[in-house]
Amino acid sequence: MSQPTSFLDRTKSFFAEIGDMTLFAGRFFGEVFRSPFEFKELLRQCYNMGNRSLFLVVVTGFILGLVFTLQSRPTLMQFGAESWMASMISLSIVREIGPVIIALICAGRIGSGIGAELGSMKVTEQIDAMEVSGTNPFKYLVVTRILAVTLMLPLLVILGDTIALIGSAIVENLKGGVSFTLYFNQVFDALKFSDVFPATIKTFFFGFAIGLVGTYKGYNCSKGTVGVGEASNSAVVYASMLLFIIDFIAVFVTDIFFEL
Amino acid sequence: MGKTTSKKIRVGIFVVVGTIILVGALYFIGSRQHIFTKNIQLYAVFDNVSGLQLGNNVRYSGINVGTVSKIEMTEVGKITIEMTVEEKAAYFIKKNAEASISSDGLVGSMVVNIYPGSELQGANVVSGDTIQTSIKVSIDDMLSTLRATNEDLSKISNQILMGKGTLGVLINDTILAQNIQQTLVELRKTSEGTGVAMAKINQIISKINYDESAAAVILSDTATANQLRTVFANLKTSSEDINAVTKNLDDYIKEIKSSKGALNHITQDETFVREIDSTMIQIKEASEKLNQNMEALQHNFFFRGYFKKLERQERREAKEN
Repeated sequence: MSQPTSFLDRTKSFFAEIGDMTLFAGRFFGEVFRSPFEFKELLRQCYNMGNRSLFLVVVTGFILGLVFTLQSRPTLMQFGAESWMASMISLSIVREIGPVIIALICAGRIGSGIGAELGSMKVTEQIDAMEVSGTNPFKYLVVTRILAVTLMLPLLVILGDTIALIGSAIVENLKGGVSFTLYFNQVFDALKFSDVFPATIKTFFFGFAIGLVGTYKGYNCSKGTVGVGEASNSAVVYASMLLFIIDFIAVFVTDIFFEL
Repeated sequence: MGKTTSKKIRVGIFVVVGTIILVGALYFIGSRQHIFTKNIQLYAVFDNVSGLQLGNNVRYSGINVGTVSKIEMTEVGKITIEMTVEEKAAYFIKKNAEASISSDGLVGSMVVNIYPGSELQGANVVSGDTIQTSIKVSIDDMLSTLRATNEDLSKISNQILMGKGTLGVLINDTILAQNIQQTLVELRKTSEGTGVAMAKINQIISKINYDESAAAVILSDTATANQLRTVFANLKTSSEDINAVTKNLDDYIKEIKSSKGALNHITQDETFVREIDSTMIQIKEASEKLNQNMEALQHNFFFRGYFKKLERQERREAKEN
């Protein structure tokens, strides 16, 4: 595939890539409900993506809650509204910041990993070899990975939100003398079903987007080892952009059904 | 490959356009809440909408029933707002309902509150109706009133601190405080004394022989009570009679004072009294002179025989006795 030069060529290439990715997604939905199901590989991928991202998510979430609370304190103190800290932080983290930040972290960690792994398999013709040996490489490599990210990301986000709230509670405890019991009582008073449910639902879409872009970029990798790097890089960039588009749409949908 | 690429491009264009349309539709739906429910339009005219914005909630008795869909200035100082209200909620809104604009919490956004009218059995509103409005006291008004109150309180507290006025004296005057303390001590003693006195009275009452004593007769004998009642009735009658007599006397005295009779002259006219006085002196002098004349007559020879005859008769009567 030659490098597009003119604006028209670039536009065509852009739409062609989106179309190709859409068809790739369609193929995923076609394969996901069709046997044989690769449960073992799915569990292995869940372990790889979920368990191995735990440390990153925990550290990021903790620092996120800590810093967010530290930065918000002075402004709330100006209004004499420190008691609103718990509700404000919890709503911000659970509704928006937690899912988006954790998803971006996972896009970097998981999306690039998938892109590089599948890209190198493509370059070294392992995928072709699987096809020759009668194994469906799409089912084994793509479906399991997309499913694994889609299932693991909500769990990672819930964990990240919790750790972020703990970080926030520690700051409140040290700076404001608020007990952990009071802080979490205020958090659970502030949070409603309409805050948690849409935020959790959209993380499934985030996970799907990360998995889809990562596998698409890796599966369609070309040009040798350079292509592997490009696949890994563009997987992160596209996935991150797609996350924000999904988040944008999710906010509108949530606004309609839950009246933010 | 070419055919496949054109297919991919078509799909890509479809996805991008579809996404843009989806976002546009979601924005449209989001900006026009309650689009899936049947709505009616209600209007209200305010002098001041206090920062009300399009999309702010409309509440009926505290329940969200719609949104503000239009705000426009219709004439000088009059702002008409259009509210999109759910039709099922409009069933409960009567024509005499009142709308007011208030803040959703201290720092919250503005909301339009519709309150049920006083006539709960009145006709329901229909789309296009303009409902009455009432002006709520704004936070600015409250703060300005609070400021005035604070200034007054500050003046009062200054006066108190300076020891002016009753409260100031009460708080600052140590002598008064000592006096009050002393008074309280005295009051306490008095109350203790009263308590002791009451205990003694109780003892006395408990010692009364209800069968034979006078108190018992007064308290328990009905015949005596009747007699007492009669006595009191008589006393009452007597006092009424005395009153009547007193009144008559009073009238009589008034009449004497006001009339031109001799008594009035005697009591009121000093000249007359002095004349009477001088007359009496003259009469006294005249009677003394008459006595002297009578003495002289006794020694006159024309009347001497008569007086001797009287002496003899007196002597004779004395002998006989």
